[in-house]
Amino acid sequence: MQTRLHTVAAVRDLGGDSYALEVDGPVPVTRPGQFYMLRTEHRWPVMLPRPFSLYDRAADGSRGSFLIKAVGPGTRALVDQKPGERVHLTGPLGQPFSAEFDDPVCVAGGVGLAPFLLLARERKAAAKSPLRLLFGGRNRPSLAGMEDFEGLARMSMSTDDGSFGLHGRVTALLEAQLDRGEIEKGAVVFCCGPDPMMEAVAKVCERRSLRCFLSLETYMACGYGVCNGCSVAVQGERFKGWPYSKTCTEGPVYETCELRHDAH
Amino acid sequence: MAEPSGSDSLRTSLGSLQLANPVLSASGTFGSGWEGRDFSPLSRVGALVSKTVTVRPRHGNPPPRLAETPSGMLNSIGLENKGADYFLAETLPRMRTLCRRIIINIGGEAVDEFVELAERFCEAGVDALEVNLSCPNVQEGRLLFSTEARMCERAVTAVKRVATVPVFAKLSPNVTDVTAIARAAEQGGADGITAINTLIGMAVDWRRRRPVLGRGIGGLSGPAIKPVALRMVHEISRAVRIPVIGVGGARTAEDVLEFVCAGARAVQVGTAAFVDPAVLVSIVEELARLLAAAKTTITELCGSLQAPIPVAPQPAVAPISFAPQPAVAPRPGPAGQAEGR
Repeated sequence: MQTRLHTVAAVRDLGGDSYALEVDGPVPVTRPGQFYMLRTEHRWPVMLPRPFSLYDRAADGSRGSFLIKAVGPGTRALVDQKPGERVHLTGPLGQPFSAEFDDPVCVAGGVGLAPFLLLARERKAAAKSPLRLLFGGRNRPSLAGMEDFEGLARMSMSTDDGSFGLHGRVTALLEAQLDRGEIEKGAVVFCCGPDPMMEAVAKVCERRSLRCFLSLETYMACGYGVCNGCSVAVQGERFKGWPYSKTCTEGPVYETCELRHDAH
Repeated sequence: MAEPSGSDSLRTSLGSLQLANPVLSASGTFGSGWEGRDFSPLSRVGALVSKTVTVRPRHGNPPPRLAETPSGMLNSIGLENKGADYFLAETLPRMRTLCRRIIINIGGEAVDEFVELAERFCEAGVDALEVNLSCPNVQEGRLLFSTEARMCERAVTAVKRVATVPVFAKLSPNVTDVTAIARAAEQGGADGITAINTLIGMAVDWRRRRPVLGRGIGGLSGPAIKPVALRMVHEISRAVRIPVIGVGGARTAEDVLEFVCAGARAVQVGTAAFVDPAVLVSIVEELARLLAAAKTTITELCGSLQAPIPVAPQPAVAPISFAPQPAVAPRPGPAGQAEGR
C-alpha cells in the first residue's frame, strides 16, 4: 500500500453540495466499505487528510471516484479541484463489509451511499440479483448519486420533507418493507450514514432481530493504525477483551452488537 | 573541512548511539513502525521510536480522542497499549526487522515501573530507551516526572542504575523553565533529552457546552508548536552538556535542519507521519540534498545558531543564550567524538 498522487479527471456536481471526485488510476482493487485518506496536492487548507469510502472504480482500475459532501474547508478544497490538478490518495484502508452475506439489505443516508456502488457493481458482475438499497435524505438534493445506481440496484427512497420517495425517515421505509414481507426474516442489513440515522436503523434491526453492520465515520488522523485516535468502544470476541477498536484498521465496519454505547 | 560526501553528511550520535541520520519517528505517532512498513523502506530512518510501552496494558481514554486545530491537532489517547509482555513477545521482534536502530519509549506512573521496563527492555536488547516523563494524558495531567525537577531526577537516576543502553528523558513543555528540568535529568545521568512532548490544550464545542475531547484536555502537536519546540530545544541545548533530540511540529527536511541548527543532535517527526506515512524516508532523502547544496553536515550545523541581535535579559524570564559571534560552530567535532564533550 502506498500514498500516490492521482490526477483529477472530473468533479461531477451531484447537487446538494455533493460531488463525485473522479481520479485517474491506477486505483487498486478495493472492497465495498474500504476507504482512502485524501488531501489535495496544493492549497490543502487543513492539516490532516480526510477519509472517504471509494465510491466507484472502473473494472480495470483506470478510474476511481469519491462521493464527497462539501461541509468544511478540507472537503471544499477537494471538490474545488480542477481536472488536471492532483490529490494524494492513501489506501485502500480498513475492513470491508463482509462478503459472506449473499443478499444484504443496504440502508444509506446522504453521502453514506458511497460504499454501496461498488457492492452493486460486484453483484452485477457476478450475475446476482440487483442490490437492495434503501436510500434516505433530508430532501431531494441530499439523495445525491442515486442516478449512478440505475440498472444496478432495486432502490427505494425516502426524504424527511417528502420531496422525493416516501415522506419520512429511511427507518420508516425499512419497517414498511419488513411489514410487507419484502424484506425476509433473517435478512442482514448493511448501513452507512449520519450517526443518528445509523443509531435509528440499528434500533429497528435489534427490535426485528436482524443482524446489522454499520460503516462508521469517525475522526481520524492517520487512517493506517498509528494515531489510536479513531477508537470506538467495542465488545466481543473479535477484540479479545480490549474495550476499544481502531476504526481505521479493524473498522470502519462493525456489527451493531460489537459497539458499546456505555462509554459515551 | 573536507567536502561532505553523500550519506556521511547525515551521520550523528546520541551519546554512544551512532545514527546514520538524524531522522527519528516520534513516540506515539508511528506505532512500532510495523503499521507503516508498506509505505517506505524504514531501514533508511535514523531510528524507530516505539509508542509508549507501560508495564500493564492500558486501555486509553474515552473517545473522542482527536480534534484538529489550526496547523495542529489535539490528542487524548492516554497511552493505549497492550503492555510490556505483549510488546516484548509480539511487537519488538517485528520492529527489529524494520530498522537497525530501535528506541523503546517507556512510561510509568511510579519510579519502580520505569525501572522494571528499563530492565526488561535492556535485557531484550534495544538500542536506547526514551523515558516518557511527560505524557499529558495520564495521571490527570499532573505530569509529575517532568514538572518537578526532583521527581525527574529520581526517575532518571533509577532508570540509569539498571539501564545498559543510552537513556533519553522526554520532557514536557508545560513548565515555566524547561532548562531546570533538563538539568535535573542530566544530573540523574540521562544520556540525552528529548524535547518537547505536546502542549496541553483544549477544544470547545460551545453549542454543546462541552469540550470536544472525551477527556476534556489533550496534547497539542503539529506545526503549530514548532516555534515553541525550537525555542525550548535551543534553551536546553545551552543548559546541558548531553545531546538534545528535537521534536515538535517538524514535517520537512528544512524543519529538521532548523532544529539541528537550534541545537538538536537528532529530530523526531511525529504528527507529519499521520499526514504522509512515508514522510520519514522522504525527509532523509531531502536532507542529503539540502546538506550537499549548503556544503555542510549535520555535525557541523548542530548548535550553530547565531544571535540575530543582542538579547537583553527580560525580568522573570530566563535569557536565551546564543552561540558566540562570528559564525563559528561551537561544538561540532568529528562525527562520533562529539559525545565526549
